[in-house]
Amino acid sequence: MKKTKMSRRDFMKAGLLTTAAAALGPVAFKPTGLWAATPNLKGPIKVGYQAVLSGTLAGYGAFHNMGVILATEEINAAGGIAGVKLEVEFRDSTLAAPEAIKNARYFVDSWGADFLGGIDSSGQALALAPVMAELDRVLMVTHAATEKLTEEHVFKKGIKQVFRICTPTYQDSNAAAFVAKDLPVKTWSTISPKYEYGYTCWEMFKNTLTKFRSDVSFIADSWAPFGTTDFRAHINTILDAKPQGFYSTEWAGELISMVKQANQAGFFEKVKHVMFPVGAAMDVLEGCGPELPDNVWISGRYFFLYPDDRRNNDWVARFRKRWDHYPAYVSETAYSTFYAFKKAVEESGSKDTAKVIQALEGMTFESPAGKRVFRKEDHQAMYNVPWGLTVSNPKYPFKVMGKQIVIPAGECFNRPPFEGPGTKPPF
Amino acid sequence: MLQSIVHVCLAGLSAGMFIWLVASGLTLIFGVLRVLNFAHGSFYMLGAYFCYTFLRFMGENFWLGLLVGPLCVCAAGFAMERFFLRYVYHLALPYQLLLTFAFVLLFDDLVKIFWGAGSIGSPAAPGLSGSISVLGRNFPVYSLFIIGVGPLIAVAMWVFLERTWLGCIIRAASSDREMASAIGVRVPALYTGVFMFGTWLGAIGGGLAVPYVGLLTPGMGETIIIDAFVVAVIGGMGSLKGAFLGALVIGLLSSFGTRFIPTFDMFLTFILMAVILVWRPQGLFGEST
Amino acid sequence: MVHRYLTYGLYGAMAAVLIGIGLFSGRFMLYMTMKVMILAIFAMGYNLLLGRTGLLSFGHAAFYAAGAYGLGLVSLHLSSHPLLGIFAGLAAAFVMALVIGFFCVRHTEIYFAMLTLAFGMMVFSLIWNLRSITGGDDGLVGIMRAPLDLGFFSIPLRKANHYYFFVLFFFLLSIFLIHRIRQSSFGLILAGIHENDRRIEFAGISLRNYRLAAFVISGVFAGLAGTLGTLLESNTAPFSAHWSYSAQPVLVSLIGGIHTFAGPMVGGLIFIVLREIIERFTHNWMLWFGIILLVIIMGFRGGVVGALSGFAKQKKTASTEI
Repeated sequence: MKKTKMSRRDFMKAGLLTTAAAALGPVAFKPTGLWAATPNLKGPIKVGYQAVLSGTLAGYGAFHNMGVILATEEINAAGGIAGVKLEVEFRDSTLAAPEAIKNARYFVDSWGADFLGGIDSSGQALALAPVMAELDRVLMVTHAATEKLTEEHVFKKGIKQVFRICTPTYQDSNAAAFVAKDLPVKTWSTISPKYEYGYTCWEMFKNTLTKFRSDVSFIADSWAPFGTTDFRAHINTILDAKPQGFYSTEWAGELISMVKQANQAGFFEKVKHVMFPVGAAMDVLEGCGPELPDNVWISGRYFFLYPDDRRNNDWVARFRKRWDHYPAYVSETAYSTFYAFKKAVEESGSKDTAKVIQALEGMTFESPAGKRVFRKEDHQAMYNVPWGLTVSNPKYPFKVMGKQIVIPAGECFNRPPFEGPGTKPPF
Repeated sequence: MLQSIVHVCLAGLSAGMFIWLVASGLTLIFGVLRVLNFAHGSFYMLGAYFCYTFLRFMGENFWLGLLVGPLCVCAAGFAMERFFLRYVYHLALPYQLLLTFAFVLLFDDLVKIFWGAGSIGSPAAPGLSGSISVLGRNFPVYSLFIIGVGPLIAVAMWVFLERTWLGCIIRAASSDREMASAIGVRVPALYTGVFMFGTWLGAIGGGLAVPYVGLLTPGMGETIIIDAFVVAVIGGMGSLKGAFLGALVIGLLSSFGTRFIPTFDMFLTFILMAVILVWRPQGLFGEST
Repeated sequence: MVHRYLTYGLYGAMAAVLIGIGLFSGRFMLYMTMKVMILAIFAMGYNLLLGRTGLLSFGHAAFYAAGAYGLGLVSLHLSSHPLLGIFAGLAAAFVMALVIGFFCVRHTEIYFAMLTLAFGMMVFSLIWNLRSITGGDDGLVGIMRAPLDLGFFSIPLRKANHYYFFVLFFFLLSIFLIHRIRQSSFGLILAGIHENDRRIEFAGISLRNYRLAAFVISGVFAGLAGTLGTLLESNTAPFSAHWSYSAQPVLVSLIGGIHTFAGPMVGGLIFIVLREIIERFTHNWMLWFGIILLVIIMGFRGGVVGALSGFAKQKKTASTEI
């Protein structure tokens, strides 16, 4: 893989894209806010981005990078941020917290980054939060989903430098419960990752669903350690319990393996109602191909067919033209991160951290995934991602969402102060 | 209950035989060359990727891919032994481990460069993609195939090592290198050959993983190599019979553990490994020296 | 004699450079230097076992993690006094090394390596699964550096340039202690075990006890590195106990040279600086790192320091011949 710092060839491609970009996204590129009046920003705006580029999840880093490069090319082709050039450096975060911290310190203290973005693992995000307070730069988290980041570090401890542009665990569990309450299922089961993410989501799913319906029970759970490739024993465990419904927060390659092995065991004929909160990830849809059955509930942090409006469809087309690939959800969150920074800088007329934080808090902005609002209290981006039933479509070589249900973020996300009555859905 | 136990057994058997396929090469190389090859997991990964590539090129024919792919990996094994490993046999253990570790890093990145960083969902094996009903629950035919292939390779290796002239020489060289050299065995060439054979076994494991795991990712060798180590140690370092039985123990233990002990964890397998090492360092089935 | 003064001169220069870095460098340089020093403590302690005693452990990350979690738990739940935390971390590493070492030192060579691997991974899965205590895979986060309260006055450690001198103190202390241990009769017996364990045994010395002592000492230094690393990064994670982390001191010692005193230090420097340099021009750091490792193993058998001092000696003999 190439370094993100743009090579000459990238610039030429960017040139070709300029026309398209300038024509297609005119609203976003118009100078607005304070900058329009006082265009006095100095030097390039530097964004340090990190995501996992090595090991079994390296594909996610590659998808992040596609979104990062596309955003950089488009923004610079249209005149940069507040008239100054955008510079990006991309580093391998691996999955280890010390590595993420080292990268962040390098970006800020050595390279001179104004903003940071990225981060896949929840552990890394939590470890980075106090460091961001020390470094005093805005970090936009684009993949890590733990609700502890925004609830505890941002809201309770007041680390204002951290924002999150992707949906957190609320989407995976609370929104799932909204869908599950209307299914004819009384007994639920799970195979989930044997780490915090898996435990938290299952717990939240159970709690929210129980509030809706008193007649459901949760009869089997089987936990797969990180790196599991053989799910056959887990699948047997679930089949023995004979549940009506199955919920699994397995994701990426492990979800692909599990789906294939479940298919071989005839799992989907026995368990009719299946929910995969991160099943709508591109790598999963493509990796499973036809082996992902129809009529499975899937969701993600963004799905390229939603919203079905001009902004999103144009973006998907531009993305496909640039990369010959459908955008993964991390591509979208990475891409939108840069437009969030752009808007915040142009509105505040400064790249000063305190001013940008002020601009970002409560800021509304348009992105391929639709309208996003950064909630002031916990810096969580509020936007809607659908849950949908898988269906075959001859237009695509993989399953896509057919019937979709949108649970508005305002309905299914926990609300500040996150403790006490009325903070957890249903409201 | 019977249905459940039978299926847990079958899952455990297939998991165990699958680990055995990978551990066999590791054990053979350690038994003869006395080198613990960290990069064996990389050969497994390369086997999977090469097999996948050839099956894509040759009209989705998995079996042809399985035939050709591992042979390519053998070439990598040859280069590694002939140009690097050969020069560290006389050095202390840490140097050998470090050398193989360097190859792990190297191969992981090379796979990313040539095949891309993303995971690749791989197709089922033609002819073996279905399932058959065992006591009213489906069991994949391909897993049955793995359960069959494992013992087959074990028997073939046993016949080769115990009943053929070449196998006899390999055994002689592994028990006393100087003596073998003195009676005219070209030990360096023999070592290269054994290393390539071990590589091939690892790559075959990878090739067979293409339909079994259903997924190729860079770094996929790192999860299996620890399992293979555990198996090799429990069975007795260098003992093929031990590795075979060790793989069965680990496969069944993890399968039953996952089903019947909700808190089951790799923890238990490492306790087993430690207890066996403390109590019988030569392993469950190794001969004491 | 000249050689000895040269060595002292080199160490003096190193201390001067390190103090200079502490006084005049930017935050990133301080951070990276602290990382090097902490890794060097880890590797120097480790090399007491590997280089002196000839035992290859693949589980020393467990003791690093014991130090890290010992400090983390005390700091979050009891008292954030750094010395108390470090003491707790060292105690945890000591006890763990004693227990694990008791079982491991019965064997040598590959069996020892595999046994330490098994114990190390046991600790890893324990940390991963005891969620209510260790925080599971999220680890312990937000461990802050409280001021170093010494009763009559207190030194703030929060800022990097303050904490730097705290780490530097422990780094120099570790060098001094490890040097003393190596030169003591205990250290010489360890070296003797490496040379010829039969002979040492005939001399009526219990091999096992000496190996255990070396194991525990190296484990405690690993724990010290763990506590300092945790204060530096403000968090701990289960991967600090993983076998891949245990491989780090092995790599570092081998890169620098296991038969030299300064080897692990130089190795730590090379390990961290090289990785940083490679990452500045390519995402394929593993490939380049692997290639450089190959060059070091094939070209510098005794590690970088071993090769350099060998080269220096050769030159010396050559010049005396003339």
